[in-house]
Amino acid sequence: MKNREWNNQVKQVLDGDRELESLSPELRREAEAARRLLLEAIDRRPVTLSAALEARIMARVRGRATARWPRAWRWLSAPTIPRWAMLVPVAAAALFVVFSRGGQQIDRQPQAQAGQRDSVYVRFELYAPRASRVALAGTFNRWDTASAPLVRVGKDGMWTVTLALPSGQHQYGFIVDGRNWVPDPAAPTVDDGFGRRNSVVSVNTINGRIL
Amino acid sequence: MKRLSVVLVMVGGLAHGLAAQGDVRARLVGRVSPELVQLVGTLADSARAAGLPDAPLVDKALEGAAKGVAPDRIALAVQGVFGQLRTAASVMRGAGAAPTTQEIDAGAFALGAGLTSDDVAMLTETADASHPTMAVLQVAGALAALGVPRAQTVGLVRAEVRSGLPLGDLTNLPAQVQAAAASGVSPDAAASGLERAAQAHAGQSVQPKGKAKGNPHRP
Repeated sequence: MKNREWNNQVKQVLDGDRELESLSPELRREAEAARRLLLEAIDRRPVTLSAALEARIMARVRGRATARWPRAWRWLSAPTIPRWAMLVPVAAAALFVVFSRGGQQIDRQPQAQAGQRDSVYVRFELYAPRASRVALAGTFNRWDTASAPLVRVGKDGMWTVTLALPSGQHQYGFIVDGRNWVPDPAAPTVDDGFGRRNSVVSVNTINGRIL
Repeated sequence: MKRLSVVLVMVGGLAHGLAAQGDVRARLVGRVSPELVQLVGTLADSARAAGLPDAPLVDKALEGAAKGVAPDRIALAVQGVFGQLRTAASVMRGAGAAPTTQEIDAGAFALGAGLTSDDVAMLTETADASHPTMAVLQVAGALAALGVPRAQTVGLVRAEVRSGLPLGDLTNLPAQVQAAAASGVSPDAAASGLERAAQAHAGQSVQPKGKAKGNPHRP
């Protein structure tokens, strides 16, 4: 076999690139002969290592097994079959990550931004003819007294601002001339815990309803 | 499954928890005193551990600072909000619900608006798939804030949910009460009228019981 040059089609059959049946009868016989030669060439005798070589190999294997970090890495990365007892803390950890992330998004009251997906535009108005400036502060802007100034409309003393509020319940108040907190006369109010009243607006983005 | 993935999930959860703690404090630093940052941070940790929202605590502290309230009074108000959130969660869970943080917030709002724990429990039980708990509690809280007496508030919301009318009708109730008040009708009179209307609709939508008549065309 060593010195024989095989036909290219026979080589393709031996490589698995071609079906034996596609060859002509003559080449098919040649291919079968080549396959027999290949099978006979395989040495099927059991492999035995010399005692010295085996000792060297085992010394290396044991050395790797006792090293701390490689052992820890193998423990972490080795495929394991999950057991029920282990699945419980894993599921709990996964749920914690998922729900606490969701909760954080819900709890954090972002500053209202136009174009937010689940927000509704709300127009706030206050009649304050003697005011020189009016602002709006509430849970939607972290009670920042400077971020939502109202604009005077005409000469009748009406002040207005329109904000995009995210879904949820918001408490707020108007600040007149930078010091007087005034509740919205057009909205329900609740006790603010400091002896005053906060106005309330509930934005329900399910149907874009404002309470 | 590799143990590495388990470890990564746990480390991620821990890192997230620490980030949430830092987030609460970061929102307060520079706006309130360091002692208040510490107090609100501790309460927020307790709130998260109990499945309560922490944002209302931060909001109350920021509100107090914006209004120029003394720190000790802000501390009391924040503790009051924490108590309301805890009560709302306890009552809602006692009513068989598994409330989200938003629903707990709505329950706390209803309590703050003047409803009792029993009212919140009853409203939680009233909610159904078409009328979610959060909407029911928000509407009830808004009605109470508008001056509708609590017994009437609960009666009206329950009648509205049971009537089978769509969610939009429920969420429109406060606006209807406000419109009535603007025309000189008292909030309780407006609520009574709306409750009667809801009950009448419920009566119409229920098929009268009785012996079915036979088919007159059948021999």
